[in-house]
Amino acid sequence: MSYVSEAPVISVQGLIKTFGATRALDGLDLEVEPGEVHGFLGPNGAGKSTTMRVLLGLLRADGGTVRLLGGDPWEGAVRLHRRLAYVPGDVELWPNLTGGEAIDLLARLRGSLDHGRRDELCERFDLDPTKKARTYSKGNRQKVALISALTSDVDLLLLDEPTAGLDPLMEVVFQETIREAKEVGRTVLLSSHILAQVEVLADRISIIRKGQIVETGTLAGLRHMTRTTVVAQTDQAADGLARLDGVHDLSVEDGQVRFQVDGDRVSELVRAMAPLGVTSLVAHPPTLEQLLMRHYGDEAESAESEKAGVS
Amino acid sequence: MTAPTVSARPAVGDPGQARASQFAGTGTLVRFQLRRDRIRLPAWVGGLGLFVIYIGSALPQLAPTEEDLASVVPLFTQPVGRMFTGPAFGMDDPTYDRFFAAGYAPYLYLLAALMSILLVTRHTRLEEQTGRAELVRANVTGRYAGLAAALIVALITNALAVVVVTGLAIAVGFAAGGSLLVGLGTGLTGMAFAGITAVTVQLSEYSRAAAGMAGAVLGASFVVRALGDMAAVGGSTLSWVSPLGWPAQTAPYVYDRWAPLMLLVALTAVAVVLAYVLQGRRDLGASLMATRPGPAGANPSLGTPVGLAARLQRGGFLAWGTGIALLGIVDGAFTQALIDAGEDMPPALQEMFGTEGLLDGYVAFLGSFVSVVIAAYTVFAMQTFLAEEGRGRLDAVLATPVSRVASLASHTLVVAVGAVLIALVTGLLTGVAVAGVTGDWTLIGEVLGSHAGQLPAVLLVLAVCAALCGWAPRLVAPVGWALVGLVFVVQFFDDLLDLPGWLVALSPFGHLAEIPLEQFALMPFLVITALAVGIVGVGLAGIRAREINVAR
Repeated sequence: MSYVSEAPVISVQGLIKTFGATRALDGLDLEVEPGEVHGFLGPNGAGKSTTMRVLLGLLRADGGTVRLLGGDPWEGAVRLHRRLAYVPGDVELWPNLTGGEAIDLLARLRGSLDHGRRDELCERFDLDPTKKARTYSKGNRQKVALISALTSDVDLLLLDEPTAGLDPLMEVVFQETIREAKEVGRTVLLSSHILAQVEVLADRISIIRKGQIVETGTLAGLRHMTRTTVVAQTDQAADGLARLDGVHDLSVEDGQVRFQVDGDRVSELVRAMAPLGVTSLVAHPPTLEQLLMRHYGDEAESAESEKAGVS
Repeated sequence: MTAPTVSARPAVGDPGQARASQFAGTGTLVRFQLRRDRIRLPAWVGGLGLFVIYIGSALPQLAPTEEDLASVVPLFTQPVGRMFTGPAFGMDDPTYDRFFAAGYAPYLYLLAALMSILLVTRHTRLEEQTGRAELVRANVTGRYAGLAAALIVALITNALAVVVVTGLAIAVGFAAGGSLLVGLGTGLTGMAFAGITAVTVQLSEYSRAAAGMAGAVLGASFVVRALGDMAAVGGSTLSWVSPLGWPAQTAPYVYDRWAPLMLLVALTAVAVVLAYVLQGRRDLGASLMATRPGPAGANPSLGTPVGLAARLQRGGFLAWGTGIALLGIVDGAFTQALIDAGEDMPPALQEMFGTEGLLDGYVAFLGSFVSVVIAAYTVFAMQTFLAEEGRGRLDAVLATPVSRVASLASHTLVVAVGAVLIALVTGLLTGVAVAGVTGDWTLIGEVLGSHAGQLPAVLLVLAVCAALCGWAPRLVAPVGWALVGLVFVVQFFDDLLDLPGWLVALSPFGHLAEIPLEQFALMPFLVITALAVGIVGVGLAGIRAREINVAR
């Protein structure tokens, strides 16, 4: 599936959405490029689902501009929905319908049903489609919505915390199917607070907090904003490293030195360490947990100083 | 799902102690269940009590003299009357308390049974189905504690019902012995069905299916008793086959028999023992009946907004439709008995059916009464749409190329078609019943006309609900039910209550011709239909403009 233009699939600027006195989205900006898997990260209540529901035209934007697949999601909902599939965060199914019926129903409403693809996905996700939906666990309900979405031939997948109830095996299957979707050129907006999942799949991520995007970029691009944890054994005393710019929380114990270094100071550090006679070295790259910690963590001391350095 | 497994008893030295431990925590659970039902159970028992007070005070007003009383006797002694009420003991010498026992006490028994079915399912299978029982059983509670507690709560509630019904029946001036029989009949019927439900909850994994099975036993008991009592005054052998026949056979205020109550006690005991045996032989959450797998794929009809709406509305349509049609048939079959009783009916009842031409008045009444019930069905059915929105399922549908307008329009359309179908089928079947008992086959057309003539008013009620779905979803239930209540009062109690003119004018039913009392009038029929269509349009404009499920 190739796009005529490389215009963004999702383009949101200054989106505002209020519910009574609460401002759920407070000037949110979001760009999702064609063919990318975009991670949409944030804690519960940050506004991920509200954003998704605005993108689907279920809610109307109170301010800002929202373009989805080149159209206005509120006015053009029906036309745009032919080209997208959505998996809600909390999948509710019709208790009297079987899982198979729900899959077919949603796929048919979307426009087409590929039986072969449906059966293949049921097999891969290990779902029994003959059971009534009221007997399904949360994970199985999610599989139903996922299978139905992945069965459809669409340009855009909007997935709101799609794997919250899946076990690790099924999460691997999920990751495979998303990679396949990407290979055929589909765009994916994947919201989550499961960081490892986004880390594995996403080309770029946006971090939302209190209705605003606080960071956006590639994972590598975001890494320079956080710190690598280093644990090393050296022949000579390593205390002196503490004086380097960008090295934090250095401690020495039994000849083992442990500290954190800002992501963009690593090369200077390596030069400084070389003369010390490094006998072992373990470096942990920043995890998305740490990225989130910077924005939501209340570990003030490190966050404060870093904020000053970066922004 | 899971096959029933025979559980090994724990190897404990003292078998008595082991058995006692299977009931550990029962007392706590009884207090817990009573606490959860602190509103519901008093409401049920209070409702039974109000029913007794209402009948006790209404009877002397409806039939102030002995002649009046004697003139209503055929209502109960006719075979169709007996079908609905009971064996009609002592109607040769009618008194108010005999009327209470013959015509109204059977409904106390029915209500107590219903109350017990819901109570036991709620505290046993529903708890297991939702997984809450697992949370409880993980503590120091025995295998039988949940079931035992539910049955004890049922016993407490039904005992309370005995006291309330007996006390209030005596208080409104009925004889003490008979009143105690009616009270005990109520409570023991309740316990018998608590026992039956304790068995059915072992059979299915779902509380609704378990309650349904117990309800089916109750329905079958009603039908068997109805047929048995129809056969002869005082009932026949068939009446004794039904648990609902036993309390009726005590003949309160006439013969005051106590022995039939023992049958209820015995049934309760057998059912409870069976329930314990079954409970001991199965895993938590499992059932003795396997879950049937459903279709792996959807029927092609289930792939459009209308198809989905039809599927979601199907259950409600079938339940309401069957109930309304049965009501119509039975009311229709009652026609001849009414005509026979009519010549010297008390004025209060004459007023209700209209004075000039009892038959025409009754046929018109059949049509408008059923139409009000169908209007209630439309209020109920449109709430299915709101439930779809509230539960978040509408999100998934609207995320496909289905518009908000299409989703509301398809539900409205399906309910409208359903309401028309119910009206026409009920009109036809009622007409056949009326013609059958009177022998006048031209009446079929008149009865059908009396039903069809009121349809625009039914559609108008539906339209108001659809409009509210579009603009103010929270008002659908309060405004919808208030409208049905208003229409009911205006239609049937206007003459008695002398209501203000503007209020009467609000009811759409009053503007339509009452067939066959009046000639069919095309103008109001078309105007009200057009008004209904217009109001639906307003509702569709509303849903087009509003957001979905904003409360979330």
